[in-house]
Amino acid sequence: MSGDNVPQGDPGAEPEPKDAGAPRPDAPLPGAVRPEPEPEQTGRQRLAAGLWPPRFSRAQLIVALLLFVLGLGLAIQVRSNSDSSAPLRGARQEDLVRILDELDGRTKRLEDEKQKLDDQRKELQSSSNQAEEARKQTLERERQLGILAGTVAAQGPGITLRITDAKGQVRSDQLLDTLQELRAAGAEAIQINGVRVVAGSYFSDEGGGVAIDGKKITQAYEFRVIGKPQDLEPALNIPGGVVQTMEKEQATVAVTRSAKIVVDALRAAKQPDYARSSSP
Amino acid sequence: MIAVLGLLAGVVVGLLVRPEVPAVVEPYLPIAVVAALDAVFGGLRAMLDGIFVDKVFVVSFLSNVVVAALIVFLGDKLGVGSQLSTGVVVVLGIRIFSNAAAIRRHVFRA
Repeated sequence: MSGDNVPQGDPGAEPEPKDAGAPRPDAPLPGAVRPEPEPEQTGRQRLAAGLWPPRFSRAQLIVALLLFVLGLGLAIQVRSNSDSSAPLRGARQEDLVRILDELDGRTKRLEDEKQKLDDQRKELQSSSNQAEEARKQTLERERQLGILAGTVAAQGPGITLRITDAKGQVRSDQLLDTLQELRAAGAEAIQINGVRVVAGSYFSDEGGGVAIDGKKITQAYEFRVIGKPQDLEPALNIPGGVVQTMEKEQATVAVTRSAKIVVDALRAAKQPDYARSSSP
Repeated sequence: MIAVLGLLAGVVVGLLVRPEVPAVVEPYLPIAVVAALDAVFGGLRAMLDGIFVDKVFVVSFLSNVVVAALIVFLGDKLGVGSQLSTGVVVVLGIRIFSNAAAIRRHVFRA
């Protein structure tokens, strides 16, 4: 285990040379042999002699070989230690295990967090989808109800019914009968001479003419009706029906089918004063 | 002189070639280097004392390296690897210092 060639029995008792170059009272040691016969040579002289001139002795070559190995190991170690790209290279096994454990825990925590956020995101997305769907349905419903309530314009196939009453015999009740007939035949949106007819519309006789919802309308009553033309026209033309009754009063009735009827008379939306929705 | 050249050649080769150290040896390399340094300082001191013998140097060099690596290996197996290698480094450091002190006395007479 002795790393040096100093003749020492135990490593604790280190014999320090009191004065350099003095002949040492050496105990006879098998390894320690004085190479030079003259003991007066100092350490400095020996160093200089060893350094120059170079001698290719066996001892020098062997020592050179060992020092070569030492230099190699030194360089490798220094290089691998200063290699900042791999700071874990020189780490011990238990340190590595601890670092790995920490990383595992960290990964798990982050994984959990990611999972949670993913769930949240999914939830928000689905709820936003639902809200979007509900909004669409509400819009659709508003349009349908708007057509019924007369707050939006409507277009579609239907018929135009034109009543020309030269003698002024047609009264409001006959117009009402016509309207009922059309409704029974499935009319969906009706306007008469620019007045939108809705559920609460009423007819009245006013002077020589007729008023709808208090609005006086004049001759040549023109009904624009959206509905299925194949149902509406026969409903008006049935024997004893509207057309025949009108013609008995000397009025001329013209019914024309059309693929596109535009009902564009509007009516202000009216908030009911008393009735409230009973559905929750 | 040849020995100094050998050391320099080793350093240069190690820096230039970048040899790949096997993973089994890697943890023992630093301690082995320190042990070898201790042996080298001991050899230098013996030379200055005029009692250098190459055979002793070779044996002490190799046994130093092997024993140091063995201690670290044993420490790793016992779970006290880091403490034991610290201890080895401390002991070797003390020896290097005492040898360096002797060398200093020879070279500078102080």
